[in-house]
Amino acid sequence: MLLALDTSTDWASVALFDGRNVLAEETWHAQRRQGDELFPAIERALLMTRTALSSVDRVAVAVGPGSFTGLRVAIAAGQGIARGNGAALVGISTLDVLAYPHAPSKQRTCPLLRAGRDTFYAAFYQERNRKWMRRSPFLVATLDEICRQIGTHTLFVGEIEAETEAALHDLLGPKALFASPASRVRRAGYLAELGWRELETRAQTKINEIEPLYVRQPSIRGSFEQPFAAPPSDERALGLPKRS
Amino acid sequence: MRILAIETSCDETGVAIVEDGRRIRSNIVASQLVHQDTGGIVPEVAAREHLRTLDVITEKALRDAGRQLSEIDAVAATVGPGLIGCLLVGANYARGLALAAGLPFVGVNHLEGHVYANWLYETEDIPPEPELPAVVLVVSGAHSDLVLMEAHRRFRPLGRTIDDAAGEAFDKVARLLHLGFPGGPVIERIAKEGDPNAFPLPRALPADRFDFSFSGLKTAVLRLVRELEKKGEVPVADVAASFQKAITEMLAEKTARAAAEHAVETVLLGGGVAANLALREAIARRIGHPLRVPRPGLCTDNGAMIGAAAFFALRHRGTEIPVSARSDLKLA
Ligand SMILES: [Zn+2]
Repeated sequence: MLLALDTSTDWASVALFDGRNVLAEETWHAQRRQGDELFPAIERALLMTRTALSSVDRVAVAVGPGSFTGLRVAIAAGQGIARGNGAALVGISTLDVLAYPHAPSKQRTCPLLRAGRDTFYAAFYQERNRKWMRRSPFLVATLDEICRQIGTHTLFVGEIEAETEAALHDLLGPKALFASPASRVRRAGYLAELGWRELETRAQTKINEIEPLYVRQPSIRGSFEQPFAAPPSDERALGLPKRS
Repeated sequence: MRILAIETSCDETGVAIVEDGRRIRSNIVASQLVHQDTGGIVPEVAAREHLRTLDVITEKALRDAGRQLSEIDAVAATVGPGLIGCLLVGANYARGLALAAGLPFVGVNHLEGHVYANWLYETEDIPPEPELPAVVLVVSGAHSDLVLMEAHRRFRPLGRTIDDAAGEAFDKVARLLHLGFPGGPVIERIAKEGDPNAFPLPRALPADRFDFSFSGLKTAVLRLVRELEKKGEVPVADVAASFQKAITEMLAEKTARAAAEHAVETVLLGGGVAANLALREAIARRIGHPLRVPRPGLCTDNGAMIGAAAFFALRHRGTEIPVSARSDLKLA
């Protein structure tokens, strides 16, 4: 059984996944209360599905980019659970989770999350050789800068306020497509799927190596042909300082 | 009862295994040296370091105590007061650990931890518990609180700083004298070579009887140093000694007065500044008997003190145990 935890932004989400089905999922606007509300939500999911935490042997956490303080709530909780019952722990990019449900649309997809007053976290996803891939590094940039990368119809998902939607319309005209509100929300069920898949193919990392993607510098450079890969490789690709 | 306890409220990552609230089986503290370059704590940097080290230290604390997680009876963590981003790391890790291991989780007030550091020992022969009621002075870079402890888990705040914490004043004066960070230990060392009566400095006494104020003293030291600089060389040791005398006397004065007014024999100290010998002596002189002070490593932030406080919280059931992290958590 896999427990998926996401507190990357003001929106939080928790899911239980048995490898085939999402058995429970709760997604809510937690604002800054993730720290208070995460564990009650985990306990509800366990209770509703009559699952003991001892039978949860996999934990997936969203590792951003997103709010650093927010991200650390779910990551610390996931680390604690992994230490407490020996579950395997995996970190999945929050933007990967946002884009993943739109893979069947075959549209170039761009998840957006607010990074600062004028900046957004973003990345571009597209199918290539029948494989859904992240095709850009994680960006921190203004809408202007993000749109300069866009030449074709692009589906925007994520936390998009009315003003952001209007600005994208202005910048891109008919090339800007928008997913419906319900389908652009970040849901831990998808995080669970990605986490499960990742744990099937990858050796388990050390618990404390799961940490937020501290994407900071505007980073429009770098390879645009990255596979849908594990987050840590991106940290290196972005040329972030090595941890001490 | 064996408690695994976690402290991450500021810039020390601490994990300890404590038995029955008194006996330390292991106590690992990782000080974040990254802050030395900035001369102060950067909250985001501190939170990152906690997350990177907490699990490694937890594993080490268990190993050093020679215990498996299955031999632990409860998990405790500081839930405030402190830096919220830092508190959230320790509290959520601890709650995850407790839930997954099927153990109770105990949220601990950090100040209560400093108080209960006075109950802790590393050796086999453990002296009797401090007698209650007690007046407790908790002084560090983050707090200057004077508390009346009426009984276990019954705390009455008497006074606190209305501006800087005492430890901050040490840090600021150390920076002014180009002595580095943190200021407490280095000022104490340099002050030994100086004359504490070289420069008279003001001792502010705020209207509220047991409150502290250090900003006036800080400004006076600044003015003094600027004047001395104009005249030539600054006698660093004399300035440090005079400052240390002024600040420890302010703290000792109110602590002794609180003990007298509440007819309390026991005076306890906690927090990093409690390691300062001049402060201990100034208080002992005023109350007329030696006071019990945790050894320096237990005065500064550590996991063991959280484990001790958690034990007494569980033993005195019926008292409220907090769960959520709060940067401004108050002492009951
Ligand atoms: Zn402290």
